[in-house]
Amino acid sequence: MAEHHAAAVATHGGGGGHATVKTYINVAIVLAIITAVEVASLYVPGVPGSVLVISLLAMSAVKFFLVVGFFMHLRYDHPIMRALFVGPLIIAIAIILAVMALFSAFVLLPRVVL
Amino acid sequence: MADHAAAHAVHDPNIGNTGLDNRKVGMWAFLGSDCMFFGSLIGTYLAYKGKSISGPLPHEVFDIPLTSYSAALLLASSLTMVLALAALQENRVKTAARWLFVTAMLGLHFVLNQVYEFTTFVLHHGLTLSTSLFGSSFFVLTGFHGAHVTGGVIWLLMLVTLAMRGKLDARDYTKVEIAGLYWHFVDIVWIAIFTVIYLIP
Repeated sequence: MAEHHAAAVATHGGGGGHATVKTYINVAIVLAIITAVEVASLYVPGVPGSVLVISLLAMSAVKFFLVVGFFMHLRYDHPIMRALFVGPLIIAIAIILAVMALFSAFVLLPRVVL
Repeated sequence: MADHAAAHAVHDPNIGNTGLDNRKVGMWAFLGSDCMFFGSLIGTYLAYKGKSISGPLPHEVFDIPLTSYSAALLLASSLTMVLALAALQENRVKTAARWLFVTAMLGLHFVLNQVYEFTTFVLHHGLTLSTSLFGSSFFVLTGFHGAHVTGGVIWLLMLVTLAMRGKLDARDYTKVEIAGLYWHFVDIVWIAIFTVIYLIP
């Protein structure tokens, strides 16, 4: 069993440490709470639209990076792995913003009235 | 024996010049490219948002409680996936196989919920791929995500089969870790879709 474990760690290939099971469960609890708050926020009357949108995007981003950092072990992993994921992620966000700009879909940008 | 294991690891053909496992590097590169794929689909959905000239509209068809339940299923499956990985790391193969099976079943439940949702949209609301800009961008985006989940379920069930046949142990940690990376990726894509498509008014 010890040699199996040694082999498993040796062939892991570039990973640093990993989170413990307790950390995984704590992260899952935080994810569940954030999801519950996200859904509940839809049913709170009187929240301005812009506040709702920004808070939903912020909560979504926190969930995203919790899963990537802890469950996908990226915060413990080699910088090359981080670069391989974060680089294209930035391009993906740029694509979303560019396509929205092309189709005038930005509600935050005022349109020029001639 | 431990020295033998370490020596075997040194000559592992999967380890490249960087000292990293090529399979894992390949998976991260694939996930990076998949990010851009889903980025373009999400961008298109947002660009078309509110521009459909005929109904039904998103707020008329979306079932937020059902979709929230589906989101919870995928989040729970991410936890069971890392528990499987942690068990395999300690060479508790049966426990790992059980968690992998639970993960696959949670994923299957998600897919069935999506099938129910799509069926309801088509049969009860008349929303199809060609009904409107909303219909085409919604079905393409969520359909591709559902296809990813389906592929992940098949992959997980293959790992469970390997474990049941005694062909999976702690030495295969990287195989399961790579499957886990893919599985968590479909979870983070759903985190984005759930907020951007379903929750933002």
